[in-house]
Amino acid sequence: MRVVIAEDQALLREGIVALLRERGIEVVAQAEDGEGLLRIVVGHRPDLAIVDVRLPPTFSDEGIRAAVEGRRRVPGLAILILSQYVEPVYTAELLASGDGGVGYLLKERVGDVPGFVDAIERVAAGGTALDREVVAELMQTRRRDGDGTLEALTPREHEVLALMAEGRTNAAIARTLVVTPGAVEKHISNIFSKLDLPATDDDHRRVLAVLAFLRASG
Amino acid sequence: MQMTAAVDEGAPKGPSRAIEWSPALALHAGLSALLGLVVIVIWAATGAGYFWPAWVWLGVGLPVAIHAVAQASRRVRAGRRRGLFVHAGVTAALAVFLVAIWALSTSGYFWPIWPLAVLAVALGADALVVGLWERLSPRAREQALTERVDVLTRTRRGALDVQAAELRRIERDLHDGAQARLVALSMQLGRAEERLADQPDAAELVRRAREEAGAAIAELRDLARGIAPPVLADRGLVAAVEALGRRAPMPVRVDARIDHRLPPVVETAAYFVVAESLTNVAKHGGGAGALVSLSIHGDRLGIEVSDDGPGRANTEGGGLTGLRNRVEALDGKLEVASPAGGGTTIQAELPCGS
Repeated sequence: MRVVIAEDQALLREGIVALLRERGIEVVAQAEDGEGLLRIVVGHRPDLAIVDVRLPPTFSDEGIRAAVEGRRRVPGLAILILSQYVEPVYTAELLASGDGGVGYLLKERVGDVPGFVDAIERVAAGGTALDREVVAELMQTRRRDGDGTLEALTPREHEVLALMAEGRTNAAIARTLVVTPGAVEKHISNIFSKLDLPATDDDHRRVLAVLAFLRASG
Repeated sequence: MQMTAAVDEGAPKGPSRAIEWSPALALHAGLSALLGLVVIVIWAATGAGYFWPAWVWLGVGLPVAIHAVAQASRRVRAGRRRGLFVHAGVTAALAVFLVAIWALSTSGYFWPIWPLAVLAVALGADALVVGLWERLSPRAREQALTERVDVLTRTRRGALDVQAAELRRIERDLHDGAQARLVALSMQLGRAEERLADQPDAAELVRRAREEAGAAIAELRDLARGIAPPVLADRGLVAAVEALGRRAPMPVRVDARIDHRLPPVVETAAYFVVAESLTNVAKHGGGAGALVSLSIHGDRLGIEVSDDGPGRANTEGGGLTGLRNRVEALDGKLEVASPAGGGTTIQAELPCGS
């Protein structure tokens, strides 16, 4: 897997590069600002771009803007945002910016190495990896203004969908909710039919379900 | 940056030098000095008899002195005090002039005593009138108070701007400093934990240390969010209010007509007005929807949060008092109307000096 990273804090950037190298993931280029990210994304066409939200020169939402622009130039680019805070607006903007895997993780999740690497692999493969706090915020938003689509879900199905949005596997969802994997599968197939998703392969439907959930929240 | 401009505006103005050297005054004094030198040369060339150049010096010196007084009087604010200042300056110049004439001429009977006495009495009378007028005239007192209020308003606003800038700087420092280091620490601990796979006890200790680091990061994040939510600093008031609306547990419509960034202190105050108002709607609005409007009229930002709930809100509640204090500190107004059955409307107005 070929990864690029845009992070202005050298300590963290180099740490992530070392950590990924140990796991056999190659960081082919690094950038310190939004402009640099666009250059390396266009130049290297990576499988995934890891992007910090706050980058020079403005140190505001430079990273999000650059990531959205990067997706415009390289359609389908998978993006994993690292941030020190949860901001659903930014997740929504990324999702609205086109196809490709999307992740939004709080920076401290990097410390959970297996979880972080797992998220990278999922997003690079076109899936999602949203921080559980992002999902919690989105669920809170979701609970009230119903546009009908997600209203039909039971509270349990909501929980399952939220965990799917985080990017958990069926087995992990079953462990979290303390139910059997079979029950999880049943919930998921209910969600698919309630959201009226086409019967393609399960992975793709999973992504579509999560996107429906996120787009409705954004 | 907006900050700097606002701070500069709040800084006290006024010169600090003793003499205001305008170009005109400098030219006047320079030409006079030159003339003084020329007449000495002429005097010396014509036989150096009676020292008549002293009279020329006196003649050109008086206008320069009066010019300097007039120039200096600009530092005194316009009004009777400035008149008194010019009066005193001209009197002093005339006194020197008269004594010099006496000294240069006969030096006998000290005749300047009479004109000097008249000048002194006139000056004394003027000072008395100005003093009494300032003490007794309500208009003068009013003007003095108005000026004082202007200065206080400016300096208070300056202090609030500085405070807002400081808070954002602290937030930035937390982000780039302590938080970044804790993130790096958490990552190193994570890598250490990976390598301790064959020593479960040690790995468990490292995992706990990583969790502690994570908790510290979360606490710093909450602290930073309390100062101002990141989206407010990044995207401005409208985006932050829209985010608030989306996050509220009831439907919220946002009607914002602002196309530029406002000073941070105004943005933060307006943000908290909307946040607290929406919290109130959520608590007491009985599930009613809310409408938030933001608009600029001249140099004032208008904020209105209304709901179609049951009304009869407590218009003096703790949250509202805090908001009112925040708004009034910026010379704004906050009003709450909550008739029974008529919904609740919170209106605030903030000067946004942009």
